[in-house]
Amino acid sequence: MKKRLLTICCAAVLGVSLLAGCGSPEPERKEGEEGAWEAGISDGTKDSVIVVMGPTSEPEAGFDPAYGWGAGEHVHEPLIQSTLTVTKADLSIGYDLATDMKASEDGMTWTVTIREDVKFTDGEPLTAEDVAFTYNTVKETSSVNDFTMLQEAVAVDGTTVEFRMNQPYSIWPYTMAVVGIVPEHAYGPGYGEHPVGSGRYMLKQWDKGQQIILEANPDYYGDEIHMKRVTVVFMEEDAAFATVRAGQADLAYTAASYADQSVDGYELLSFETVDNRGFNLPAVPAGKRADGFEIGNDFTSDVQVRRAVNMGLDRQEMIENVLNGYGTPAYSVCDKMPWYNEEAEVAYDPEKAAEILDEAGWKEGKDGIREKDGVRAAFTLLYPASDSVRQALAADTGNQLKEIGIEVTIEGVGWDTAYDRAQAEPLMWGWGAHSPMELYNIYHTLEEGTAGYSPYANESVDTYMDEALAASDLETSYELWKKAQWDGSSGIIQEGDIPWIWLVNIDHLYWSREGLKVAKQKLHPHGHGWSIVNNVDQWSW
Amino acid sequence: MKKSNGRIRTALFFGAAVFLLFGITAGGLLLSEEAMVTDFSRKELAPGFPYLFGTDWLGRDMLARTLTGLSMSIRLGLLAAGISSLIALGLGIASATMGRAVDSVITWIIDLVMGIPHILLLILISYAAGKGLKGVIIGVSLTHWTSLARLIRGEVLQLKEASYIKVAKKLGMRPLDIARKHMLPHLFPQFLVGLVLLFPHAILHEASITFLGFGLSPEQPAVGVILSESMKYLATGKWWLAVFPGLLLVLTVMLFDMAGESLRKLLDPGSVHD
Repeated sequence: MKKRLLTICCAAVLGVSLLAGCGSPEPERKEGEEGAWEAGISDGTKDSVIVVMGPTSEPEAGFDPAYGWGAGEHVHEPLIQSTLTVTKADLSIGYDLATDMKASEDGMTWTVTIREDVKFTDGEPLTAEDVAFTYNTVKETSSVNDFTMLQEAVAVDGTTVEFRMNQPYSIWPYTMAVVGIVPEHAYGPGYGEHPVGSGRYMLKQWDKGQQIILEANPDYYGDEIHMKRVTVVFMEEDAAFATVRAGQADLAYTAASYADQSVDGYELLSFETVDNRGFNLPAVPAGKRADGFEIGNDFTSDVQVRRAVNMGLDRQEMIENVLNGYGTPAYSVCDKMPWYNEEAEVAYDPEKAAEILDEAGWKEGKDGIREKDGVRAAFTLLYPASDSVRQALAADTGNQLKEIGIEVTIEGVGWDTAYDRAQAEPLMWGWGAHSPMELYNIYHTLEEGTAGYSPYANESVDTYMDEALAASDLETSYELWKKAQWDGSSGIIQEGDIPWIWLVNIDHLYWSREGLKVAKQKLHPHGHGWSIVNNVDQWSW
Repeated sequence: MKKSNGRIRTALFFGAAVFLLFGITAGGLLLSEEAMVTDFSRKELAPGFPYLFGTDWLGRDMLARTLTGLSMSIRLGLLAAGISSLIALGLGIASATMGRAVDSVITWIIDLVMGIPHILLLILISYAAGKGLKGVIIGVSLTHWTSLARLIRGEVLQLKEASYIKVAKKLGMRPLDIARKHMLPHLFPQFLVGLVLLFPHAILHEASITFLGFGLSPEQPAVGVILSESMKYLATGKWWLAVFPGLLLVLTVMLFDMAGESLRKLLDPGSVHD
C-alpha cells in the first residue's frame, strides 16, 4: 500500500512539474559569452543588443510583407525592407524611400516618386518596378491586410510609381508606411525565410522557435546604424523575467504583474501606447439573423445604459489596480492620434450614471440589480482566456458596475468563438493602430447593415468616414475622422451612441540593462512586440 | 485482540478519509460564491489571517478557490466513477457471458481505448463534446472504465468455471439469473474497490486537462486552472498560489487511495487476518 501511495504521489508531482516545464525554452548560450556581453558597455563601443519578445511575436510566415511581416495585426517597421513612407513620432507621415507623393484631385490616383540611390542587399538597385511589383503582389496574396481599395500599381518610369485606386483612400500614406518593398528579381516561395530587402538590417540567422539575428546593412542609404547586431529571442513572460534575472538579455518585455519586482543592473522602462483595452456593447436588441445567428443584446441596446456604463467606470482605479499604475485612461480607440477627437473624454461620475439609469426606467430590484420591463440589468463580459490582464479588467469592470446596479458575469473564451459571440455579448478587446482605418473597421457598417465586430449603425458616422477616405489631403481627412467621432450632435462618444467603451491604454514595459540608451519611441500600437525595435538602429550604449 | 485492532484501525482510517473528503466537498460547495469574488483591495496577500491560503492578483481568496476547485473535482470524480462503473459492469459481464463473438468485440473496444494515450483521448473527447465543463465531464466519465471492465471480465470468466455456477447452469437457471444471483454478490467487493480507486485517476485527469486549458475558462475555480495560473506568478515569488492548492490536490488523491485500500482490506476475505 505504501508503494502505491508513493507512486501516486510521485505521479502527481511529476505530472504537474512536467506540465510546468513546457513552454519556457532557455536561450542557448555558449561558454565565455558572458564577458562579451558586458564588454564595451562602459566605454560605449558595444554595438549589439539582445532583445526578448513574446513567442507570438515570432513571424510565423517569415519576413514576407504579404504574410504579415510588419503589416499584419501588429503593425511595426519592417526593418529588413524599406517602406515608401514612415510614421513620425507624432504619427504624421514622413518619407523613407519616397521623395514626394501626391494624390489626384479625385483621389483615384496616387503618384509617388522614390530615391534613386537605393540598392537591395544583393546589390541590385531598387526601382519603381520593384515597388509596383510589391504592391501588386500584396494585393493578390496578402492574407492579413485589406488592399481592396487598390486597383493596381504601375511603374511609370524608374523612380515614379502610380497607384490606381478603386475608390478614394486619403489615408493611403499610412498603408505605404507598413508595406516593406521586396525585390521583384528575388521574390518567390521561400522569401519569408530568406528575405532580401533594402532596409536597415539583414536577416543573419533564424532559429525557429528560438531567436532571430539581424545584422546591419552596410550599404544602407539612411542615417548611420549604431546597433550593428540585434538578436531577438522569443520567450514567455516568466522565462523572459528569469532571463533578465540571470543577466542574459539587454532588453526584455514584461508585464505589469512583474513591475513591483526589482532586478540588479536593470531598470524598468515604460512606454506610452495606443494599445488600448475596451469592450463593445451591442447596440441592437437581441434577435437572430436570417441564418439563425444570434445578434444583439436587449440590455446594452439601450443608449442610456451605454452612457451610464461609460460614465460609471473609474479608469484611474483600474490603472492602479490592474496595471499597477502603468497605463493611461482610454476614451477612444485612437487616443492621442492626429485623428482623435478629444470630446470623447468623460469624467467618472457614478451618481450621474445611476441617475441616467433611473431616468431611463432601470429601477433597482430586491437584490440591488436594476430591472426594466422584465429585462435584468446584466450582461456577460467575455475576455480572451489566455490574457490575464483582460481578465482582470473584466473582473474590475464587473465590480465597478455592480456599484451602479449592473450585474456582470465574466467568462473566458477562445478566439475561435469570441468573434461570433461578441455580436451578442460584450467582449474585452485590444486595439490601437497607427492608422485611422481602425475607426472605420470598428464603427463603419458593412454590407449586412451593421458594423463588423459589434452590431452598430449610424448613417452620419458612416458618411463622415466615407468623406474622410475621399478627402484630397490628410489634414482634411483628420478633421472628418474627428467629426465621425463627434460632430456636435451625433457620433460615437458619451453624448452620442457610445457603442464601445474604452478603458485603458496599456503602457508597454521592458526591463532594460543599465547603460542601454533606447531611442525615443513613438506611441506603440497594439501588440507588445516588434514596435520597440522600430528604431533599434539609433539605440546606443 | 491485535487482529480486531487492525480491522478497527482500518475501519477508522476509512471513516476518517471519507469524512475529510466529505468535508472538502461540502466546504467547497459552501464557499463557491466567495471563490468568484474579486477584490483589488486585498490582492496578492501572503498566507495569514483571515486568508489562510493567501490571495491572488485579482484579490481572490485562494482557500475558497482551492476548496471549490477540489470540491468540483471530487464531484466530477464521483460522477465519472459512477458512469465508468456502470459501463464497466455492463461490458464486463456481457463480455464474459454472451459468447465468444461479443467477447472479442468488447475486448477489442477495451484494447482500443486503452491503446490511445489517456490524456490525448480525454482532450479529444472533451473537445468534441464542446469543451467547457460539459466536455470535461463527458471526457473524464467516458475514459476511465476500461481497466475495471477488464477486471470484471476476468473475474466473471473465472467464476464461470466455478462448480457452483456450472451446477446452477445444469439445473436450468437462466444466464441472467445466474449473473444476478450467483455472480454479482461475488463480484461486488472487487467492483467497489475498483470503483474507489478510480477516483484519484479521475481527479488527476480533471486537474491535468484543466491545467492544459482544454476545460474551463480561467475565472472558474478548478484545481488545474488554479495551478496553471500560479505558474505565471512563481517567478515573482508568489509561492502560495501553487503550493497550497497543489498540496491539497495531492492530499485529496492520497485520501482516496487510502480509503480504497482500507476498503479492500475490510472486504477482501484474503486480508481478514491482517
